[in-house]
Amino acid sequence: MIDLQRVCYVRLGTRDIEGATRFATDVLGLEINEVVKGAVYFKSDQREHTLCYVEGDPADQAVAFEMGSRAALTAAASELERLGYAVHAGTPGEADARKVREFIAFNDPSGNRIELVWRPAYGGTRYHGVRDAGITGFSHVGLCTTDAARDEAFWTQVCNARVSDRVGNAPLLRINEVHHSIAMFPARHPGIQHINHQVESADDVMRSYRFLSERQISIVFGPGRHPTSSAKFLYFEGPDGMVFEYSSGVKMIADELLYRERQFTFEPRGLCEWGSKPDIPEFRS
Amino acid sequence: MIEIEQLRYVRLGTRNLPAAIDFAQRILGLQLIEKSDEQAAFRSDFRNHTLVYELGDPSRQSIGLEVRSEATLERAVAALAEIGIATTAADASALARRKARAMASFRDRSGNTFELLVRPETSGWRYFPARDAGMTGLAAVALRTTSNGADETLWTTLFNGRVSDWVGDAAFIRFDEAHHRLALHPSDRAGVLAVEYAVEGINQIMQAMYFLQSAQVKILHGPGRRPTSDQIFLTFAGPDDMLFSYVAEGTRIADEGTHRPRQFARKHLSFCAWGSESSVPEFAASEDRNRGSRP
Repeated sequence: MIDLQRVCYVRLGTRDIEGATRFATDVLGLEINEVVKGAVYFKSDQREHTLCYVEGDPADQAVAFEMGSRAALTAAASELERLGYAVHAGTPGEADARKVREFIAFNDPSGNRIELVWRPAYGGTRYHGVRDAGITGFSHVGLCTTDAARDEAFWTQVCNARVSDRVGNAPLLRINEVHHSIAMFPARHPGIQHINHQVESADDVMRSYRFLSERQISIVFGPGRHPTSSAKFLYFEGPDGMVFEYSSGVKMIADELLYRERQFTFEPRGLCEWGSKPDIPEFRS
Repeated sequence: MIEIEQLRYVRLGTRNLPAAIDFAQRILGLQLIEKSDEQAAFRSDFRNHTLVYELGDPSRQSIGLEVRSEATLERAVAALAEIGIATTAADASALARRKARAMASFRDRSGNTFELLVRPETSGWRYFPARDAGMTGLAAVALRTTSNGADETLWTTLFNGRVSDWVGDAAFIRFDEAHHRLALHPSDRAGVLAVEYAVEGINQIMQAMYFLQSAQVKILHGPGRRPTSDQIFLTFAGPDDMLFSYVAEGTRIADEGTHRPRQFARKHLSFCAWGSESSVPEFAASEDRNRGSRP
């Protein structure tokens, strides 16, 4: 059992790192933590970075999960190799570039690049964004799946994820008390489907709705509220077609024994209880 | 000091009664409880009715306010006469239509009509609407005022009204723990600006936004949050250019001793902290053209 502790960071390739940086700061509201040749690191909470834009192919995307110990990381590598996954052991240089002590990387069954990291760096200074978006931190990713049942089995049997709810065939998976750290979306291709940052309140979601609308940022879903996690949300489009989400009020599942996952319909009313309709390919029924 | 016990109802004239009934039921989510050729009454809560549409001139509007007893009503009539405001006592048929025991009506300096009621009816049967708007009841009435402060003074000196906050010279006046029951907005004319109904919470406000969009009802302000009352709101157009609002949440002023009315600048962000703008002039449309960058 690969015991994922929490979602750690996202690495995204881009051909226009300046444009991506402008978006991440001026629009999304993140703080630049470090600029190096070919990469910019962004902070959204106490961690040294939770998003990194790297010069390169926008199809090069990775999401990282934190492991509890070096032993757990080593065991995860052997387990994945035993199951036939090609495991890449991160070099010290690659680990430095990720601000972690050690890591391994592999592709999940759909082909999403996953990194398992040990001792990711925390910062001494708190996050202070360039605009007051009310961000409290990077919280989850949407991952494309080419076979929802197969991938659910991978995340829940090989790894420690639990299904919190299902929307159609797509499971929302938790690895800690947060309702979901991974939201799976059926698609024909792998990839990160969206990147979520939590904000303090519904007020922040709605203020950003006005802020983004005024700047002609394409809002692709919301403002709305998920009946699954009860979070109030807003989805909008960033560089290279990546979808970003602000949300507030995600449900916490404290009692593993009492909680039971529910089935929701993969129609707009299963995705939003306020009545907004998604304009995102993976959300369309 | 005349105690206003409760805001009871709003009576609105309309030339097209069937259209007004359709709006109140299907869009607003009220329960039609009584209908004749001349008027239709609607329930939103424990009160027998909180909205009445009356066939006639849309400029004929009145606000019903409850006082405790006939003695209070008599004191009010005398006090109003003293400052030169005439009152009209209601006849039996007017009382029957209003379901009250006694009533005297008057106009404020701007010309807005108020009806002071004794023992207006409460319903033993609960409100049960056709559409689930999450309605919890009539919350407030926003009025236009041309009196340059005289109307505000009337409510705060002759009656027990207290100013909770000002935005520019618009005054939010409370009679109980709610932040305001009457809002007086300086304007170039008199009349009811908006009738405000409380709903359960943010879900109902946002569901209403999508519902109203799909029903092609014009949304004129919001969804937003008022920095004054801390209410979430959504304001939309009803028949005869009347505005209606759904409101939710909001602060209550429980401690009269510690609350100080605050002055907010007359600009759109004082009406909405989420940044929604409105074309309604009373909500500071075009007042702050030269504003700087937004938060």
